[in-house]
Amino acid sequence: MSPAHESTDVLTETSTWTWRLVKERGMGLLFAFTALVSIAAVALICVFLVGGSLPAFSEIGLFAFLTGTDWSPSDVPPTFGILPMIVGSLYITAGAIVVGVPVGLLAAVFLARSCPPRLYRIVKPGVDLLAGIPSVVYGFFGMAAIVPLFDNSMLAASVLLGIMILPTIVALAESALRAVPESYYEGALALGSGHYRAVYSVLLPAARSGVLAAIVLGVGRAIGETMAVIMVAGNQARMPDSIFDGVRTLTANIVLEMGYAADLHRQALIATGVVLLVFILLINLSFSALVRKAR
Amino acid sequence: MTQTQTKKTSARGFWLIPLAASLALSGCTPNTGEITVVSREDGSGTRAAFIELFGIEEKTADGGRKDHTTDEAIIAKQSDVMMTQVAGDEDAIGYLSLGSLNETVKAVSIDGIAPAPEAVASGEYPVARPFLVATAGDPDALAADFIGYILAAEGQTIVNESYTAVVADAAPYASTDPSGTLVVAGSSSVAPVMEKLAEAYEAVNPAAQVDIQLSDSSAGLQAAIDGTADIGMSSRDLKESETATLNATVIARDGIALIVNQANPVTDLTSDQVHAIFTGTVTSWSELTEVDELS
Repeated sequence: MSPAHESTDVLTETSTWTWRLVKERGMGLLFAFTALVSIAAVALICVFLVGGSLPAFSEIGLFAFLTGTDWSPSDVPPTFGILPMIVGSLYITAGAIVVGVPVGLLAAVFLARSCPPRLYRIVKPGVDLLAGIPSVVYGFFGMAAIVPLFDNSMLAASVLLGIMILPTIVALAESALRAVPESYYEGALALGSGHYRAVYSVLLPAARSGVLAAIVLGVGRAIGETMAVIMVAGNQARMPDSIFDGVRTLTANIVLEMGYAADLHRQALIATGVVLLVFILLINLSFSALVRKAR
Repeated sequence: MTQTQTKKTSARGFWLIPLAASLALSGCTPNTGEITVVSREDGSGTRAAFIELFGIEEKTADGGRKDHTTDEAIIAKQSDVMMTQVAGDEDAIGYLSLGSLNETVKAVSIDGIAPAPEAVASGEYPVARPFLVATAGDPDALAADFIGYILAAEGQTIVNESYTAVVADAAPYASTDPSGTLVVAGSSSVAPVMEKLAEAYEAVNPAAQVDIQLSDSSAGLQAAIDGTADIGMSSRDLKESETATLNATVIARDGIALIVNQANPVTDLTSDQVHAIFTGTVTSWSELTEVDELS
């Protein structure tokens, strides 16, 4: 519905009406342009990544690159296999979900349904603050507090990432729970269920899509996290045997070696970025599918 | 939401606490004396010098090179991360530039020689690499004057603050009153001392300006070849392709110190032991003595 149409009834002066129309159109164009900036940025990044990585994919071979387990870029001749990093990213992200989702979900339930307002005023900003802490600070916290317990390992990285994705999960799951009509809860109570039974058996299932979307967004944050992970994960480029082994993630691989890389090594790192982008793309697609389902 | 409901929440949450505590304890790996090897990332100048000096890098007959650093090595991205890592793990061993060493970790002697600038100067301490500057062909007046300053008594005194001077009994600097702008580009390892040198040089020669650009050794030398920089700085020796066009001058030597945790009783290692640790043939501190018997 265009505001210009409404204004014909209200405004009698034609010149004012024309001026308003010009302003409306002008602003419309400006907004469209700013929206295009993001699209252009995404397109440019894709062009850069694909263009920069094509030589690597053709020289190393897509299959050898994705399934190779040896990463020795400085050897002559070099070997580029990123399977350990793919596995590392997936394991650490899964670990973060195991740690972060139960805590985040229960916290969201508490904040949405049980938290007294006075406590809410403390807890909510606290959770939000967690989202604002720079990841390098998380990294130092991890080195000082988590690494002494678990060594530089997949477990340490999972625990740290689990904490880092808490604010995302809490915030989104809480708003999903709050979006469930109050009548659901009252209906459940009227049928004789207690408070928590109503929350877990009626409200959570009703908010399922939103809660899943929160988890998916948490996954996206976990898989893209770099600095904090580098500081606690050990960064060994080999297949891990247990959760006490260190691993290197896709993001860590890029950041660790980009400063020194040249030629094929550099292209292989850009290709690592392409693989990461594909993962992020899949996560975002499932996120938007879930959000659509939620509506 | 009522007050009684809130109380219920906190009461029901308590069972989680012992669970979390037991999880934390079970994740704690016992101190078995397994060596935690910490290395730098592939491509780092320090790593390149280290693996070459200890023979961890194998050169094959057909000109190939293979880095035999153990896959289990934790990768630290920077000197300070390396130190934090070793300071926080009693079983860790790592290495870093002598100029970056501080008292949070313990530097061990190699073949009975303690790492110190004096021992590097006399050549007794074997693990050292050159810092050098290179110009394409003969340096112009300003570049020659600046290099002259670095090698004179004033410059070498600054070098000696953290590294090892290369000119014994250097003559005092005699300014040729140069003017203009000098661009120095290259290794981030050399840059800290280069910045101090440039500052002192500009104080003596107000008409001259020294601009320092940070990248890495290879990029700096390439910039000197291309003419985009007057002087390239490098933390490694020149390659054959580079010596064809570049004139290199060694301005300092930098020792590489092997570091262990302060609580580690080890004070002296042989080159063979270091080789065995970093290639992964020895994995626990108790096995170390056997290496000597074997060799």
